[in-house]
Amino acid sequence: MSALALAALALRARRRRVLALLAFAAVFLAAALTARLLVSRGEGGQIEMDRLFIVGGYPLVSALLLLGWVLGRYPLIATLVMLAGVISHDRAEGYARVYGVRPTSPHRIYAARAALFAAVAFAVSAVLMPVFDLIMLGTWAGPATFVLILAYVIVYGGLVTLLSVWTRGDAWIALLLALLALVWDALRRADALMIPPGVRDLVTFVLPPQAAFFALEGAFGALQPIPWDAFAYVVGYGLVLWALAGLSLVRREV
Amino acid sequence: MIEFREVSKRFGAPGRPGKPAVEALAGVSLEIPAGGVWGVVGPNGAGKSTLFALLLGFIHATTGSVRVRGLEPRRYARRHGAAYLPERFRLPGEWRVRTALRALARLEGIARGAAARRADELIERLGLASHADREVRTLSRGLNQRLGLAQALLAERELVVLDEPTEGLDPLWRVRFRAIVSELRDAGRTVLIASHDLAEVERLASRVVLLERGRVRSILDTAAEAAAGGVTPYRLELAAPVPELTEVFPEAEAIEGDVGTAYRVAAADATELSRRLAALLEAGAVVVSVQPLHEPLEARVRRELSAEADT
Repeated sequence: MSALALAALALRARRRRVLALLAFAAVFLAAALTARLLVSRGEGGQIEMDRLFIVGGYPLVSALLLLGWVLGRYPLIATLVMLAGVISHDRAEGYARVYGVRPTSPHRIYAARAALFAAVAFAVSAVLMPVFDLIMLGTWAGPATFVLILAYVIVYGGLVTLLSVWTRGDAWIALLLALLALVWDALRRADALMIPPGVRDLVTFVLPPQAAFFALEGAFGALQPIPWDAFAYVVGYGLVLWALAGLSLVRREV
Repeated sequence: MIEFREVSKRFGAPGRPGKPAVEALAGVSLEIPAGGVWGVVGPNGAGKSTLFALLLGFIHATTGSVRVRGLEPRRYARRHGAAYLPERFRLPGEWRVRTALRALARLEGIARGAAARRADELIERLGLASHADREVRTLSRGLNQRLGLAQALLAERELVVLDEPTEGLDPLWRVRFRAIVSELRDAGRTVLIASHDLAEVERLASRVVLLERGRVRSILDTAAEAAAGGVTPYRLELAAPVPELTEVFPEAEAIEGDVGTAYRVAAADATELSRRLAALLEAGAVVVSVQPLHEPLEARVRRELSAEADT
């Protein structure tokens, strides 16, 4: 696998990002361990919030709740960090031309690279999230954790890769779209969008599938069965993005 | 082998505020046969790198067509590959020389073991052995350029495109680079070299494309021009003037601005030159030196460009 050898080298060039992700993950684990040391576990094995409140008041409880919320988005963050510039960096630095004269398809080169980077994002998330849950809750969400991570990696990996064919601001634009989708979905669910239903549905369809992510996160947070229909929608949306990225690469100048 | 037909390339959309459209190439038509070394010269912004980018399929022509062996360039590169050294060659700084070359050799379709051997061969050949395990970012400019040459030579490709190949090379490596290009030429490859170093291009290339403001100003073909004239001019320097000079070399004329006893003479070939010189020596002349006299590429390029400026 010639493209894989190059992908491994590209991963080496991103080792600082991997270390940064690991350091970020360590912050979550350190926070969970601190909470675990500060208060004893309740009957269910989880850290009791009211005991935490007694120790640190609102700030400590809020901090931990915020940490929990961000943890749910860790796969998104990891995917953006790992895949940022997956193609655009090569174009900007001129490496794409060094590869482009060789009889190996750029699709193979970048598919191998994106898959490897996405696998790293998945692996780091797949270790962090269950361990955090085990420390904080005394249990974990089981396969729903991996399904949620996979959903994020497929959708945002595809989105960053597609944007990376065209612009250097790939990860930032993807982050902006993710936040937009989050806000949009919240407003939609609250029925607070004062726009025609056709426009609302179109925007909801085009933006990253936050409603499906919400369903997956719900199952993950409440230890409920995995909503496979939501997962299937997310996978379909992600695959379309990957396919568009592949098509764009055919004609893109380097 | 290579055919540019009325090729134009415009960057930027016309009418876009703050970003005026730039016509990098305009109506370029060019045919380059297989085999031999071609130079591409011209001032900054003349379109040399754009010409190469079109040739290798990195960018698409706005109008006109480019074909390499009858194929669209990107298709040619995917099918046959090309050897390419970009201007200001770079690889990711964290990569190590040996592993980078091995990985690139694998992209050439070379099997793992053979790729490792080929990379090691080129590391030796390009004098990178003591730097093979260093990160690319720690290399000096000259070493980086040698790494660029090494990666371009990983596979034996019919088409070799070198953009400013001697930039950063020290005199010793320039000489070695010439040997490499000679080998490529002798092996029947088609080598294209873009450079601002006209003396270097003159040494290496048999034909030179002069670009200016995106247009082919002229194609300088020294071999053909000499053959067309039927004679080769020489600079003949004598110790002192002799009246027999005009009898032996009727077309002799003093070279203006040179030493007083230097003359421009001509002969069809070395045999005729020797015969005439023998006659001159017999007449009592003392010959200080005889050198082939041709207008250096630099002077020709300057003349062509100033002629363009005058029009």
